[in-house]
Amino acid sequence: MTEWLFEIFSEEIPSRMQQDAAGQLKTLAEKAFQEEGLVYERIRTFVTPRRLTLVVDGLPLQTIEKIEEKKGPRTDAPPAALEGFLKTNGVKREDCEVRETPKGSFLFVIVKQPGKPIQEILSTLSQSFLEQFRWAKSMRWGSETKTWVRPIRGLLNVFEGHIIPLTYAGVTASNETRGHRFLAPKPFTVQNFKDYEQKLRDHFVILDWQERRNLIEKDIEKVAGDLTPFKDEGLLDEVAGLVEWPIALRGQVDAHFMDLPNEVITTPMRVHQRYFPLVDSKGKLAPYFGFCANTTATDGGKTIVIGNERVLRARLADAKFFWEQDQLKPLEHFNIALKTRLFHQHLGSIADKVERLGKLTSLIASKASIDPINVSRETFLSKADLGSHMVGEFPELQGIMGRYYALNQGETPEVAQAIEEHYWPKVSGGPIPQTVSGVILAMADRLDTLMGFFAIGISPTGSKDPFALRRAGLALIALSLNPHFKLSILEALGWAYDTYPWSELAPPVLKKREEAINDLWQFILERFKFMLKDGQGSPYDHVDAVLGVAHDHPTFADLTSRVKALDQLMGGQDGKNLLAAYKRASNILKIEEEKDKVRYEGTISEGVLQEVEEKTLFANLSVKSPEIQALVQKGDFVKAVQDLATLRPFVDQFFEKVIVNADEEKVRANRLHLLAYLRKTLHQIADFSKLEG
Amino acid sequence: MKTDFQTVILKLQEFWAQQGCVILQPYDAEVGAGTFHPATTLRALGPKPWKAAYVQPSRRPADGRYGENPNRLYRHHQYQVILKPSPPDVQDIYLESLKYIGLDPSLHDLRFVEDDWESPTLGASGLGWEVWGDGQEVTQFTYFQQVGGFPCEPVCAELTYGLERLVQVLQGIENVYDLDWNGAEGDARMTYGDVAHQMEKEFSAYSFEEVDASMIFRHFEDAEAMSRHLALKKLVLPAYEHCLKASHLFNLLDARGVISVTERANYIGRVRALARQCCELWMENAHD
Repeated sequence: MTEWLFEIFSEEIPSRMQQDAAGQLKTLAEKAFQEEGLVYERIRTFVTPRRLTLVVDGLPLQTIEKIEEKKGPRTDAPPAALEGFLKTNGVKREDCEVRETPKGSFLFVIVKQPGKPIQEILSTLSQSFLEQFRWAKSMRWGSETKTWVRPIRGLLNVFEGHIIPLTYAGVTASNETRGHRFLAPKPFTVQNFKDYEQKLRDHFVILDWQERRNLIEKDIEKVAGDLTPFKDEGLLDEVAGLVEWPIALRGQVDAHFMDLPNEVITTPMRVHQRYFPLVDSKGKLAPYFGFCANTTATDGGKTIVIGNERVLRARLADAKFFWEQDQLKPLEHFNIALKTRLFHQHLGSIADKVERLGKLTSLIASKASIDPINVSRETFLSKADLGSHMVGEFPELQGIMGRYYALNQGETPEVAQAIEEHYWPKVSGGPIPQTVSGVILAMADRLDTLMGFFAIGISPTGSKDPFALRRAGLALIALSLNPHFKLSILEALGWAYDTYPWSELAPPVLKKREEAINDLWQFILERFKFMLKDGQGSPYDHVDAVLGVAHDHPTFADLTSRVKALDQLMGGQDGKNLLAAYKRASNILKIEEEKDKVRYEGTISEGVLQEVEEKTLFANLSVKSPEIQALVQKGDFVKAVQDLATLRPFVDQFFEKVIVNADEEKVRANRLHLLAYLRKTLHQIADFSKLEG
Repeated sequence: MKTDFQTVILKLQEFWAQQGCVILQPYDAEVGAGTFHPATTLRALGPKPWKAAYVQPSRRPADGRYGENPNRLYRHHQYQVILKPSPPDVQDIYLESLKYIGLDPSLHDLRFVEDDWESPTLGASGLGWEVWGDGQEVTQFTYFQQVGGFPCEPVCAELTYGLERLVQVLQGIENVYDLDWNGAEGDARMTYGDVAHQMEKEFSAYSFEEVDASMIFRHFEDAEAMSRHLALKKLVLPAYEHCLKASHLFNLLDARGVISVTERANYIGRVRALARQCCELWMENAHD
């Protein structure tokens, strides 16, 4: 089988971009082969900090011949036009055929493009991959005008052991590459992929990202000894992109730092130094850390460990200093600093935000159907830690430091917990606050942020969402899913709008109240659809159908269980038949109502019912419809759709046996009323007309 | 191998002179980083090749800690190298320089970790890394993409060694004030603290306590006005020097905590406008 090996060797690629790059190169190759009509066995891509590699197995040696018919000029066209046509296609006059068309007689010719050797194609393709590649951020270097994520320093391009010619950004392709920067810096030649991978390994480079990641995970566990590394997938991913030759080592943390809160110790470790914190068998943070060097040092890593311990010591010394300084004053003292810290240029300072949160949280606390609680203290302190030294240095600790400082100054545990939790959920699907006050504060914070930006005309567009409003929208929905928490988000949007002192802020753009609420509500509903589709696989039309009948102030808990119930119903045959029946019923109604210029929504005269099937349907609807209504009001949608499903045989039989458009007008009208009753009953669950079936 | 502070500087001077750099002296006005030296900011622009290296004492009033913090300094020292166009083997040359001052890659873990650089006051940005030596950032390595809002064509490589941190790694010393400055023994021995501690203490007190904000605001206005005037007269270097003065005065006000967030962006914008004007003037003459 043939094999093409293409490596782009560069200076260090940022770790966070490597996985995407490997994926993109694969997609580019797949697309290109498809366009060229080239078959292949397999495409693989690999990435290390210094190289991006493509391997393709099973390409043909030649492309297939292309045969194309081309239409030329009219037979009576000037000679120059004829000559031009012949020249472009490399044919003679006698190769052409004259054909009569409605527009006159024209020349036609069959042009054969012979198959090209694959080398020629690969040379063009490798060039176009480099041209088409899109990095999140790319750069120029030296006097070159081409761009790449970092300067390209080598191109390895071989097909079946032969070099594929390519020159890009001043670099000419060869059959050479390089291994580890320090352990084996000399270039070496490569025959094929197997040779490449093995020689890289001999030159201290592990090509496969996943293999490096596994190795790091295993070796960090090994150096941890009796201790266990924190589970941190993101950190493992990042480190796998920082090293070509991972060597795990263990360092020690000075005992006198161990009194600091865990998060204060582990944040500089993980975020700044990319170390793995270790815990003992009881889950307690141990005074050690694992980390990964990119080299085998001649002293077994002693110098490297000492150096890294020293760096961590300096960072923790800073942290300890901040911890002590911050607690010289009460937490509320930092609120002063928030007066000059902008939330947004046109939305005031963080202190202004806290003031608005005070109003919003008390509204939410009093209007949500829970025992009214006082959340003023946690609201007042919620953002104070943003002014502390510690959060200034380690922004990841926002909320967490607030909790520690609150506890240490004698606030109640609930207040302290709410301060931390009001940033939750931190990621989509992450844990939501456990305290009621935490939920209220978190909701108020999101409402305020979302409404503020929407009101001044800032909303996410395409891939741009600099203020993370999509995440805030999802968080708001997640927070309001608690079924005991009966709060209408739509109503709360109005409160959020009203708490902004718009005349004082005077933003250059300000939407009217109704417009801002409506735009934001539509945005939140879009997020809701996305969330249900992503989370429980609900199709968009199910959500639309439910939203179509929801009353003005639905809660997301209510909507979610409705959609779930509808998913369940439509997953089975009962749902499909009911939908078919619904469509039939509403079609008939639509036609007849238009014809008669009346709405058939009146009462049904039992005496006028004639056929047994219509009597049975009516009898069942009369029992089930109020039952379903009661269940819907209770929020028991599962039971409600089960009830709905029991109607199916009667509906089916009705349509099978009964002719709606009876000759006698009274009978006909009565049957139309019956169909309207059926429609109304179904609408208690969802607007079935919005369902695709 | 000797690793005292002054020997490291001498060796870097020697190394980069051998690489064909002109060895310059520090710019003789207060700057926040070696990048602000006109030998970098202005010379990075235009088509002419340029290779230079120099030490630049760099003042950051907000980082002053009265000489009490083992790592933060009101004034630290950068060793700045500028290579235009960036040579193809610039990483290798840089790593050679580390070997030359005694940072042996067979003992240490040297890594290039993504860190893109941006200077809002200069309207400058670039892509590159911070270079780690055993987890410590010892150099900022940047390929300039633009300065003063102008694209750098060709692109230059800027290497900024943080001398204190680098020597801390070399000497294995934790507290910057304990660094060996001159490599001498006995009474002749001088530490970093002997040389610099008083400055740290006094300038911290100056910038946090004694700065007269209204006076500095006035100085800022003056420096800005002078820079504009000089630019009109096409005196690009003096105009740029007054831009640097304005920049440092802004840093002082910022450290003093008298500039609110909104005003902050405004002041940065004013300095950037001066820098841009100087770069524009420089570019007008760059093709001569």
